[in-house]
Amino acid sequence: MTELIERFIAIPDILSTSPMFAIGLTLSAFFAGNWLFARFGRPLWMPPVVLSAVMLAVVIAVLSVDYVRYQEGAFWITVLLGPATVALGIPLYQQIHHIRAMWLPIVVTLPLAATLAAVYAVVIAWALGATPEVLASLAPKSVTAPIAIGITNQLGGSVPLLMGGLLITGVVATLFVDLLAKWLPVEDERILGFALGLNGHAIGTARAFEISIPLAPLPLWAWGLRVCLPRLYCLWCFVCRSLPGPPGQAVIQFTNSRKL
Amino acid sequence: MSMLRGFLILVLFFLLGEALRVVFLIPVSGGVLGMILMTFTLMLRGRVSDALASASQALISVLVLLIMPGVVGVFFMASQFSGQWLAVSAALLLGTFLSVLTTLLLMKSVVRLSARSEGND
Repeated sequence: MTELIERFIAIPDILSTSPMFAIGLTLSAFFAGNWLFARFGRPLWMPPVVLSAVMLAVVIAVLSVDYVRYQEGAFWITVLLGPATVALGIPLYQQIHHIRAMWLPIVVTLPLAATLAAVYAVVIAWALGATPEVLASLAPKSVTAPIAIGITNQLGGSVPLLMGGLLITGVVATLFVDLLAKWLPVEDERILGFALGLNGHAIGTARAFEISIPLAPLPLWAWGLRVCLPRLYCLWCFVCRSLPGPPGQAVIQFTNSRKL
Repeated sequence: MSMLRGFLILVLFFLLGEALRVVFLIPVSGGVLGMILMTFTLMLRGRVSDALASASQALISVLVLLIMPGVVGVFFMASQFSGQWLAVSAALLLGTFLSVLTTLLLMKSVVRLSARSEGND
């Protein structure tokens, strides 16, 4: 009898060796979070992603599932973020008329707002006596995660702290965009979508799609392009220099030969 | 079938983005590069196929599910902040509040300015 109970208690530990356990757990928390969100009357200050994440964390802690093992299983979910990011290009293309109409505000706001976001965080943390390592982890929080990790490493910060910072920033940015949209007030949905994407990263973008607001993936797109352009320009110069003939023609020949 | 075909296109663009990232050492994820390539391709083609539209819609509608495992990580990294709780949380909360405020105000005023100058033209 005691053996039976022991085996019963060991269920979570044994099942969690399969990725299906992490997938089932994440899916259940996702649906439970959405159900609770609807139950609470869709409060602005509590996005479903927070509800789901809190429940998931509680279940992992209560069942004493190894967190690292959970993340290994959940890899099968997070790996889909790659094609999902590519998929963001499609709504962006469908909103191209918004981008054409707003290109000037976007070009002016993006670098300024992104820089100020980092300045605010570092100055506040510095004033409250944070160590240089913490400051270095907070500094790049305004840019997207893959770029930010590179900057943090250069500055000598901690990557897990940076990732945590990005996630907390994402959640609170969603709340503040909702709140400030009412207080200021800002009614233009294009501005709200842009602010969600710029300040809230992945979480903000997901939130924008939940409430069907356009332009959230745009800051990510613009940052990516900004980082790529110097490299593409270098490549262009390299190709021009290494091929004979007038530069423009040489490049056309080069691309044509690649196609063939 | 049609949705799977769309998914294949997304995966191919992702792989293309990853390949570009590795070859040209671009510090942006393959997904973001794939997204940029995708918008430019669609601009050249001028339309979105049904397969691609349904696959992208399906993935975007579960975006919250896809980022959840990452979000849960916040609750399991408390030790990273040891001793600096006040500074870190103040920087994140107040800093994000200020940056959201800045973005909204900046964007609002520039939109208004550019609308006014267009009106004068």
